[in-house]
Amino acid sequence: MATGIRNPVTADLPLAAFPYLAVRGVGFAYRRDAPVLRDLSFDVQRGRLANILGPNGSGKSTLLRILVGLLAPGSGEVRLGGALLADYPRAALARRVGYVPQETAQATGFTVLETVLLGRSPHTGALGFEVPGDWYAARQALHLTDTELFAERSLDELSGGERQRVIIARALAQEPELILLDEPTAFLDIKHQHTIYGLLRRLVREGGKTVLCVSHDVNLAAAYADDLILMDHGHVAAAGKPEEVLRAEILSPVYEMPIEVRKDKTTGRPYVMPRPQA
Amino acid sequence: MNPRPLTLRSYLQSIGAWAGLWACVCLVAVLFGGERLWTMPSREQVMDILASRLYAVLVASVVGAALSLAGLAFQALLRNPLADPFVLGVSGGAALGVILSGVFVTVIGAPLFGFVGALVTIGVIYAVAQRRGRIEPYTLLLTGIVVNAFYAAAIMLVNSLVSPVRRADIAYWMMGAISTLNPDWSLVAMVGGLTIAAGIGFAFLAKGFNLVAVGEDTAGALGVRVERLRLVTFVAAGLVTGASVALAGPIGFVGLICPHILRMAMGPDHRRLVPASFFFGATFLVLADLATRLLEGVGGQTPPVGVLTAMAGVPFFIYLLRVRWRRASEIR
Repeated sequence: MATGIRNPVTADLPLAAFPYLAVRGVGFAYRRDAPVLRDLSFDVQRGRLANILGPNGSGKSTLLRILVGLLAPGSGEVRLGGALLADYPRAALARRVGYVPQETAQATGFTVLETVLLGRSPHTGALGFEVPGDWYAARQALHLTDTELFAERSLDELSGGERQRVIIARALAQEPELILLDEPTAFLDIKHQHTIYGLLRRLVREGGKTVLCVSHDVNLAAAYADDLILMDHGHVAAAGKPEEVLRAEILSPVYEMPIEVRKDKTTGRPYVMPRPQA
Repeated sequence: MNPRPLTLRSYLQSIGAWAGLWACVCLVAVLFGGERLWTMPSREQVMDILASRLYAVLVASVVGAALSLAGLAFQALLRNPLADPFVLGVSGGAALGVILSGVFVTVIGAPLFGFVGALVTIGVIYAVAQRRGRIEPYTLLLTGIVVNAFYAAAIMLVNSLVSPVRRADIAYWMMGAISTLNPDWSLVAMVGGLTIAAGIGFAFLAKGFNLVAVGEDTAGALGVRVERLRLVTFVAAGLVTGASVALAGPIGFVGLICPHILRMAMGPDHRRLVPASFFFGATFLVLADLATRLLEGVGGQTPPVGVLTAMAGVPFFIYLLRVRWRRASEIR
């Protein structure tokens, strides 16, 4: 069951040789005088849960919008499975990359099941009729996210944590290889934060997905992610395994405050403690 | 709302049901709209009346379907439940175009001038109400108000410069009226063809309407080219609005009332709403026009049908503003 998705042939190769998602020298600016991303490079390997961290305004959400194809990078290139992102037709990209945007709370009147079925759009024909395979994928996505119970309820009635799981289910119904999430745990309480990250980890371990998540929550990312990418002012300050990235000498300058890093004795993973000056 | 899968069979069944309802209402309107046919002295007179009623029913159907479709499309793509060709000023722009065509050219250019007026208005509204590609909901409605005010003033200016005889005509026409005095069957056929084409086109865009209604980023990530969808839809909605105004003047609120009644009845899925809006809009305006013909028996004059739709539409607008809109904006 565990890590069943790693190809036995490529698993022993050096990881850097086969990046699934390769970001190379990407720059972007909404206005010419204020670049948001500057010469940004990192890799995400297949079958990993990667998390982008960084202070407010470091360009995390913009980067995610570029990776999902909503924005075109001003410079540099993004490759997905070896091919340039810009070369994918819009619908073909939608069949490979699922996206859970930050603004998920919208009163639309759709039920949970209808919302999840919307994720089948890249697969359906011109008039949008669903075939049994689409219903199967939607039901499976509901099952994976543990949202089957409210399938017939309106999305607008659900709590924040339930709604977030439904939006993730919609991305799963897309049957993508890569799932991008923008702050999926913002506005959620501790229990639901862990439910969401636990789900993401299961999707990677058991579902064969690759997940790239943007989050503010350093400790949550440290507890669940395989790889961390720390962004600062539009470029990568550090990238690697949690214990490589979460170090006081790296974090303190990025967040511009003293930060202490300790080790969780039970899990062996690092956790950070801010030490504000009184 | 509707857990059944949408298949070709259920799709065609629902289209058939809506078309059947529309056909029945048309039949009733032709047979029973106004004077009693069996009291007519001659066969020729009966045929004349039937032809004139058939013309009115066709005009009402085409205009109702066009406005209902345009309203549905504006609401989906502007993500604003109160968007409607009349409220946004698109009908007003088309009306100014049509009136100018009557003053400067001849009647032949009316639909063309209507298109231009409608499309220019859509361009203006979109340019003013959007900020960084996002459309502010309240700004959109305020823009509609001032654009309407401008067109009202411009039409008043033209009105005060033309002869007093035409003046009365324009005032009546501006309320949105289906007149059977000078039937123009070829114009009905042209506008009808355009509306049917728009209905079929929108049926293929309905999948995209659903996704844009949920969110523009979501739609983009699910494979929709949002900007292109918006351009195509706005041009099509502008064309049918302009054409319908050339046919029957600016009839208000049809595009607001019909899609919302359907949403309440059958949920938010645009794949079902597009064909339903087409036939329900047609049915609705045939009924409204029938009501004006029955009112003729009361006062001796037929009131313009736009009077009825506006009197029904304004309370409906207030209801949407207070109840439905509030819910939508709170959650946002």
